[in-house]
Amino acid sequence: MQQGDTLPTIEKTITQTQIERYANAAGDHNPIHLDSDFAMGAEFGGSTLDGTIAHGMMILASISEMLTVTFAEDWLNNGKLKVRFRGPVYPGETITAYGSVKKVSEIDGQSELTCGVGVRKDNGDVAISGDATVRISSGG
Amino acid sequence: MIDYSKLEAGQQLSSQSLTLDAKAVGDYVAAVSDASNPAAGDGTPLVPPMAIAALALSAVINTLQIPGGTIHASQELGFGASVPVGESLECTATLVQNTVRRGWRFLVVNMEVTSEDGGGVMEGKSTIMLPA
Repeated sequence: MQQGDTLPTIEKTITQTQIERYANAAGDHNPIHLDSDFAMGAEFGGSTLDGTIAHGMMILASISEMLTVTFAEDWLNNGKLKVRFRGPVYPGETITAYGSVKKVSEIDGQSELTCGVGVRKDNGDVAISGDATVRISSGG
Repeated sequence: MIDYSKLEAGQQLSSQSLTLDAKAVGDYVAAVSDASNPAAGDGTPLVPPMAIAALALSAVINTLQIPGGTIHASQELGFGASVPVGESLECTATLVQNTVRRGWRFLVVNMEVTSEDGGGVMEGKSTIMLPA
């Protein structure tokens, strides 16, 4: 891959059922994700929520899925990710994980790719943004 | 009830084992609809790395008895080794920062996850915001 190349996007629609499954699987039962009465009016980044929201780590999983599809075991063996959670994702919204190669470096004989990555909602708002770095093994 | 103002940087918050058996991984994969199916070269199923991160963070959340309304602000992750499904891992969480700004308490937590033989699997830094 080279600078400017885009990564294969991952798109999914988030449902409240999925959020509840995630809460059970990850052991995170914060009512902001599960109780609409509690969530309504709670704060996120200076604005007020309209209802329950997905867990940030659940949405972030779509970026890691995209990076696993793209870089296979290299991502699992040496990937690095640094992101900010910029906005809430509500049940019923469709998200797209996206990324592109920002920089290619040669380090210790291996190519290291730095990618700008993020998750965008169908209304255009960015829910997550950040950078991912991965070294490509010689077989990759 | 935890008095969050008394938590100090450098304090170890939790140390516990994570078991990534087929059920735990399957439940996670189903919840996030992850279709990547990571596998080693010989076909051994591998744990999606975010499953490790999610379960490690969950240990922190439960230890801290995080109140409703807490927001996850940012996340750093670094993976050091792929993990076959079925392995057990050790996760240690340490507080690195505890500050209050504009009505929110910011806790920055470092997580270190190692395999049973001590090899590095994942490092992470989570910033969470609690209503102060």
